[in-house]
Amino acid sequence: MISQNRYLNKLKTLSEPVRQFSGLVTVTVIIILSFAILNIFFGQGDELVAKMKKEEERIAAANKLSKLISTLPSGLLVFYEGSDHYKLTEELYETVCNVTKLIPQRAVMGANLTNFKAKQIYTNNGNLIDETFVKWDKENNKCIAGFVLSGSLDSGENEKITVSGEVLNFLSTGIDTRVYFIKNF
Amino acid sequence: MTAVSARKTGCEGNCENGFGKWTYTDNTVYEGNWVETQKHGQGVETWPNGYIYKGEFKNSVWSGIGILTFPDGSNYEGEWANGFMNGQGKFTWSDGKEKNGTWKNGKLQK
Repeated sequence: MISQNRYLNKLKTLSEPVRQFSGLVTVTVIIILSFAILNIFFGQGDELVAKMKKEEERIAAANKLSKLISTLPSGLLVFYEGSDHYKLTEELYETVCNVTKLIPQRAVMGANLTNFKAKQIYTNNGNLIDETFVKWDKENNKCIAGFVLSGSLDSGENEKITVSGEVLNFLSTGIDTRVYFIKNF
Repeated sequence: MTAVSARKTGCEGNCENGFGKWTYTDNTVYEGNWVETQKHGQGVETWPNGYIYKGEFKNSVWSGIGILTFPDGSNYEGEWANGFMNGQGKFTWSDGKEKNGTWKNGKLQK
């Protein structure tokens, strides 16, 4: 208590500019310390900003694609001549390929028509599909879709099989696009 | 006011024993002969994604003589068993190329 009083008395003896300067230094130190403490709790600020930016870019790209899909007419979409259906440009064909995720049951059943084992596995295992994929083949400029089936054959043996082929039609529902015909023959 | 018309599903005609047209909920349509609620005899099955099978059915399966047209215009005309190309048949690609031969479970035998 005595030493505290002595310290305060000593401060009073200091000149006004010195006192103001030491006050300023103290406030600055407090601010720096506060930020240092905040950084401990909410650290990696730059990384967070980068992540948020990336997410914003992803959302913007998804919105752009979704707008583009909504401009397509409902019905079948093709990329080749000689059909009454809506013909996609090469660029749009690639875009639609990249945004399409769904492969409906009839497209799977159609591809299975030329794959005996696939049909057996699909039928014997309650039409279950392990995995589906739709991807753009850069080398051949083609949209490739397929699915993976696993389960028992008629013989009782278990097998895993991948069926894939070129996507010749998409179906546009106005909300999304779906693979409609996988040509695997 | 917007008019909303319900999609017609189910049977038109006789889909038990006779001739009838069945429209499935996914828009697949079978029109042909029925025996004890099974597709049996001559009929046409049209899938919504463009596959059309016209020919014989046995117990609801493509069996006998039939033509399957693929969505890209290719077709197979010949014998069927258990839903697959089985027996003598001709495959015609959409560009006109043809292949005749014996088929087993959907594959041309060499």
